[in-house]
Amino acid sequence: MATNMRGLTQFIADIRGARVRELEEKRINKEMANIRKRFKDGNLDGYQKKKYVAKVIFTYILGYKVDIGHMEAVNLISSSKYSEKQIGYLAVTLLMHENSDFLRLVVNSIRKDLNDNNEIHNCLALHAIANVGSREMAEALSEDVHRLLISPTSENFVRKKAALTLLRLYRKHPDVIPVQEWALRIVSIMDDPDLGVVLCVTSLILALAQDHPEAFAISYQKAVDRLNRLVVEHEYAATYAYYKVPIPWLQVKLLRLLQTYPPSDDPTLQVMLQVVLQTIMNNCNEPSRNVQHNNAQHAVLFEAINLAIHIDTNSPLVNTAAVLLARFISSKETNVRYLGLDTMAHLAARTDNLGAIKKHQGTIIISLRDKDISVRRRALDLLYSMCDVDNSELIVGELLRYLKVADYGLREEMVLKIAILTEKYASTYKWYVDTILELLSAAGDHVGEEVWYRVVQIVTNTEDLQAYAAKVVFEYLKSPSSHESLVKVGGYILGEYGHLIANEPGYSPIEQFQVLHSKSQFCMAPTRALLLSTYIKWVNVFPEIKPQLVNVFERYRHVLDVDLQQRACEFYALALRPEEDELLQNVCEEIPPFPPRESALLNRLNKKNAESEDKRPWAHSGNGTLERQPSKMMKKPTLIDTNGHGSNSTGDISQDIASIPRLTAGPNVDRWFDKLAYTADGVLYEDVQIQIGIKSRYQGPVGQVAVYIGNKMSAPLTSFTTALHTEENEALSASFVKIAPSTLAPRTQIQQIVQVECKKVFRKPPILVVSFLAGAHQAIAVRLPIVISKFLEGVKLGPTDFFERWKLIGGPPREAQSIFPISLDATGHIDLAKQRQVVSGHGFQILEGIDPNPSNLVGAGIVHTAVDGKVGCLLRLEPNKEAKLSRITIRSTSEDVASEVQKLVQKPLAAEPSGPGEKRTT
Amino acid sequence: MVRLRGEVHRLVAPRDQKYQSNFVEFRNHKIVYRRYAGLFFCICVDANDNELAYLEAIHLFVEVLDSFFDNVCELDLVFNFYKVYAILDEVFLAGEIEETSKDVVLARLEQLEKLE
Repeated sequence: MATNMRGLTQFIADIRGARVRELEEKRINKEMANIRKRFKDGNLDGYQKKKYVAKVIFTYILGYKVDIGHMEAVNLISSSKYSEKQIGYLAVTLLMHENSDFLRLVVNSIRKDLNDNNEIHNCLALHAIANVGSREMAEALSEDVHRLLISPTSENFVRKKAALTLLRLYRKHPDVIPVQEWALRIVSIMDDPDLGVVLCVTSLILALAQDHPEAFAISYQKAVDRLNRLVVEHEYAATYAYYKVPIPWLQVKLLRLLQTYPPSDDPTLQVMLQVVLQTIMNNCNEPSRNVQHNNAQHAVLFEAINLAIHIDTNSPLVNTAAVLLARFISSKETNVRYLGLDTMAHLAARTDNLGAIKKHQGTIIISLRDKDISVRRRALDLLYSMCDVDNSELIVGELLRYLKVADYGLREEMVLKIAILTEKYASTYKWYVDTILELLSAAGDHVGEEVWYRVVQIVTNTEDLQAYAAKVVFEYLKSPSSHESLVKVGGYILGEYGHLIANEPGYSPIEQFQVLHSKSQFCMAPTRALLLSTYIKWVNVFPEIKPQLVNVFERYRHVLDVDLQQRACEFYALALRPEEDELLQNVCEEIPPFPPRESALLNRLNKKNAESEDKRPWAHSGNGTLERQPSKMMKKPTLIDTNGHGSNSTGDISQDIASIPRLTAGPNVDRWFDKLAYTADGVLYEDVQIQIGIKSRYQGPVGQVAVYIGNKMSAPLTSFTTALHTEENEALSASFVKIAPSTLAPRTQIQQIVQVECKKVFRKPPILVVSFLAGAHQAIAVRLPIVISKFLEGVKLGPTDFFERWKLIGGPPREAQSIFPISLDATGHIDLAKQRQVVSGHGFQILEGIDPNPSNLVGAGIVHTAVDGKVGCLLRLEPNKEAKLSRITIRSTSEDVASEVQKLVQKPLAAEPSGPGEKRTT
Repeated sequence: MVRLRGEVHRLVAPRDQKYQSNFVEFRNHKIVYRRYAGLFFCICVDANDNELAYLEAIHLFVEVLDSFFDNVCELDLVFNFYKVYAILDEVFLAGEIEETSKDVVLARLEQLEKLE
């Protein structure tokens, strides 16, 4: 891009020199005419084309319509010179609309550049896709972009741009991207040594994981690991420190990624994350004078607080955070006040304990009068989400007072919020009616239809409210100017319930009529129509004012508005029917209660604001509709509960049914596992690339399993990741003590310790998943040999004790028994040694001298579980040489233990099955 | 585009530098902006995006411009608008921040400058 274009510089200078708009236009028209002619004549060299197209672009940027240069731009793209290509691509991305026909012409050129050996060309092509990204491009090119992202030969620049280009294509055309298929390979890039690459791919994953949390589940531990390396270990290239803060943008992305998942139950990750968050909070205690440093630090801090709130609102971390936030909301710096209020609103929406926030109610209310509307909005959101039964009168009162002076832009939202809070936390009918009517009269034009509909619904459904509402609305109507929505509510309520107060002085039918009708002339046709309906109801209940009412109908029979005229005619006819006629009465039956329905107000508020990709569970949908998630504690019943607002659509994405990884199959996989079920150490898995070995010890209900993973190759395994899946989380916990390093050097071995605790009887051993990059992305998934008998410890019993217990436990279901074929050893005898090895390997104490038959075995033991306590277990094994069969009997105080142990002990003793189907069955 | 630009300008320009934040709501989004003398740099982000991260991204971008043009001024940006786009493509892409190391970006720009 070195060569400056003199003609362009002159053109720009001329335009800047133009004193008035007309001169500028004149200059531009002249230039465009000249360029059009040059293009028409053809025969331009690359430099000339570039120069003219650049002038066209500049004209376009100024805001002029341009209709030339498209073809020349397409030509420039195919140039081999960078500067010409760059201008060509710039023109394509700026001048061409996403659906332009010209874009079809460039798809092939872009593909050519994507596949070029020159990485600079790859990058230009990626920029174009990332900036325009039409559907056609997505369909034709996403495979190529993905290839550039994962190819080991791609330069870092190409990979960064490919990741973000893919993100753009996914956001625009999600259906084109085979996310599931690509997920693991993409996640593995999070381990890349280049932080720029990690940042881009994390942005990509953040978007993909919102829609496909399961497929990207492993990104959770990678994010924790990376944060730990950045924040705690200070492991990053110096150039990625921004004013001494390690790559704050990446930290923010990672902290957000963690908020898209339910909190992890892996203790190692929990502790690690705890330390990370604590460190981030501590870092902020050293204020600096540098604006950039502070901003970067706070960017990370606020995200960390959000994550801490997401994980557990009752944690000490959140307490620390609450103290910080309190300081922030009265900060001198506007940005900090803004963010403090914003984050506090998040906390208020999530916590069960509003106490800490309520302490600052005064400060927050003052923020409603901040000099900055952005801050005022945040204060409004916060007041909305911190409102509960105890402070609702105060907060709603403040909001009402503020409403009268609030910015016009804020009022509609305020009205909705006040209406919702009033309804939700009303403690007396009187308060509800007073407040909502004051709202209607104060807010005037900013009251959406939903608000007064809702008032009518509630009054109709709440009998105790009706007379009082009628009186209050009547008083409001008496004031000289009342807003139209108040007239509507008044018309409706007096029509239905005016008769309830008609006998009291000052509320007589004629007074009601006069007050209401005096408003009619200031109202729009729909309101007048509503008033006509009120009058026909009154004809029914207030015969004394019938002449006046009929008079109104008569006059309205001649108005031009069709709806009004029709109503008037019908009502007129209805009113003049003979008195004994029942039609009028039937028509004017009292309105039945409305069926329970969701508040239209909430829908309105949510609709107003929803437009974001962010699907974090708590995400404020748009500008702060922090709907308080009803907490268990606060659920005091409120008076007005006519309509079910139990609609908690705040989606919880905790997907407990974690998908089980597909197990790696292989001829020896089962054999290795079965052997390790009754031995402590040995090989669990081996192939040409890696070997996995096990060493284990158990004590009571806990155990420690050392997993040794060796790289057998002469190349390193990168993006090396280990993960555990337990299917019975309440019964068995298993977790790594630390996260594995992300690279496994050639011909080396690492040791990963798994802590195990047996809480209850379980059946399914945890699954170990080892994944890595070696050419392609690969994953090995095998079950760890952690079975219930690992928690069995032998006990010595004498014959009397043994038989007593044996009898006490008794037969099925606490007995599990089976007869199975055995094979004899080389000499044709029962393999007694193996038999003893298996039985004692499973933890039994072999008891001698109880069974007189020397081939038979008797054993006893106790299974230790942390939650369900100890479970006794007795064994008897009776092999028969002649029949080549053996009988196993297990008796246990837990039937689950009996059946499980019986299967485990029998497995290695049974003869190789003749048919494949028999193997796992008993 | 021109209309959008005008709308954002009207929203941001009158705001007070000292007493008002660098964030302002715009339709269903937020504008994060920073003022350098007479120049405003504005980014439109989602309502839930991290404001400060974008505020500093602006500063990073300005620092890159400043180094590249050696004490950047408005004229540099106008006369070299196509280079500004090229620089933009190195710092932001697809609406996300792409590279945050000034050294990496500047080295890359230097490499591109040398190309024909």
